[in-house]
Amino acid sequence: MALINVAAREIHGKIVYYGPGLSGKTTNLQYIHSRIPSNTKGELLSIETETERTLFFDFLPIDLGKVHGFTIRFHLYTVPGQVLYERTRVAVLNGADGVVFVADASRDRLPDNLQSLRELAQNLTAQGKRFLDYPLVMQYNKMDLPQGLPTPVLDRYINTVKVPRFEASAITGKGVFETLRAISKLVVNKL
Amino acid sequence: MPQFDPEISRMVVVEEDQAQISACLQRLMADSGASYSMVIDRAGQILASESDEVRPEMVHLGALIANTYASTQEMARILKEDGFKTLFQEGMKEKIFTETVRGRWLLVVIFDKQSQVGMVKVLARRSSAVLANILDLVERRSTEVNSPRFRQVGKATIDTIDLLFKDDGCSDDE
Ligand SMILES: Nc1nc2c(ncn2[C@@H]2O[C@H](COP(=O)(O)OP(=O)(O)OP(=O)(O)O)[C@@H](O)[C@H]2O)c(=O)[nH]1
Ligand SMILES: [Mg+2]
Repeated sequence: MALINVAAREIHGKIVYYGPGLSGKTTNLQYIHSRIPSNTKGELLSIETETERTLFFDFLPIDLGKVHGFTIRFHLYTVPGQVLYERTRVAVLNGADGVVFVADASRDRLPDNLQSLRELAQNLTAQGKRFLDYPLVMQYNKMDLPQGLPTPVLDRYINTVKVPRFEASAITGKGVFETLRAISKLVVNKL
Repeated sequence: MPQFDPEISRMVVVEEDQAQISACLQRLMADSGASYSMVIDRAGQILASESDEVRPEMVHLGALIANTYASTQEMARILKEDGFKTLFQEGMKEKIFTETVRGRWLLVVIFDKQSQVGMVKVLARRSSAVLANILDLVERRSTEVNSPRFRQVGKATIDTIDLLFKDDGCSDDE
């Protein structure tokens, strides 16, 4: 739920990076954190297992700057992708204003992407959101890998809802800010 | 678990609301001796806070508390409970007590050994009821506010977004 605080002259929004385990959600936030100026971001908070898999969430607050005297502040989160943490994903998704679905473009991960996407649709619907009007963008990540599926194939299987989608390699940063820009705009559009 | 109105996608807090919420928090702090209190939404965003000193770490704390609370709601669902209404963390120096406000917002109170836990709990419950009335009104009005002022801010923000992330050191053709 976007929060417009006229008194404090601030606008807040929450964006959640969703997707199957190991698709690169945390890597997206790490890249954003490493690249944006320190006066426009807070610390990156990660709650993870010993093997660096997300256990609860990653959290990164960023400022998009001042507009008409209002400070625009977004909170970026990732969910834990491992199947076991389904209920945790529901908790982190609570109150999100927009979602980035990070798909793993590797050929053998196609079923996992589809399952995660179905689950996302269910969870948003359970929160009373209409999935088809919901601010959502997709990121086809790990496009650098040779065993990756080509974009037209991913479009056909994963992006049946035809939302904006971006090819990415989060590990090098390719497509990361493009994705963030796109979801930020969709969220702001809903204000 | 209370359901959120799907049509409400934003809360608009104006000066007057802020003043009412602050007054409620100040009273709670004065009566309980707590050092910090805040109201956050279910996304962990701070609607209002009152403090003896500036505490920037509260942005992260708000996110953690909101997620922890949402997580306990899922636990409740698994156990077929209606939901858990409070959270309590007890440290050596400070304690954190969190009480839900209508299941849609959270009242967070931070206090040290000068305050009594029982007292904080009772006063927090009372404040939660007062805040519920204030926030209900804010919420109802937020659905009506369709101010062109915010639309303007929205448009200008979209332009800013283009500018802001352009200089990220990674051109998209990398
Ligand atoms: N080759 C390649 N590897 C990547 C890319 N993005 C992430 N990785 C690697 O994939 C692994 C998992 O990345 P994470 O960002 O931790 O994945 P996650 O989606 O957060 O995983 P969970 O927290 O378990 O849900 C790490 O070893 C990353 O370095 C990419 O674009 N290309
Ligand atoms: Mg992760």
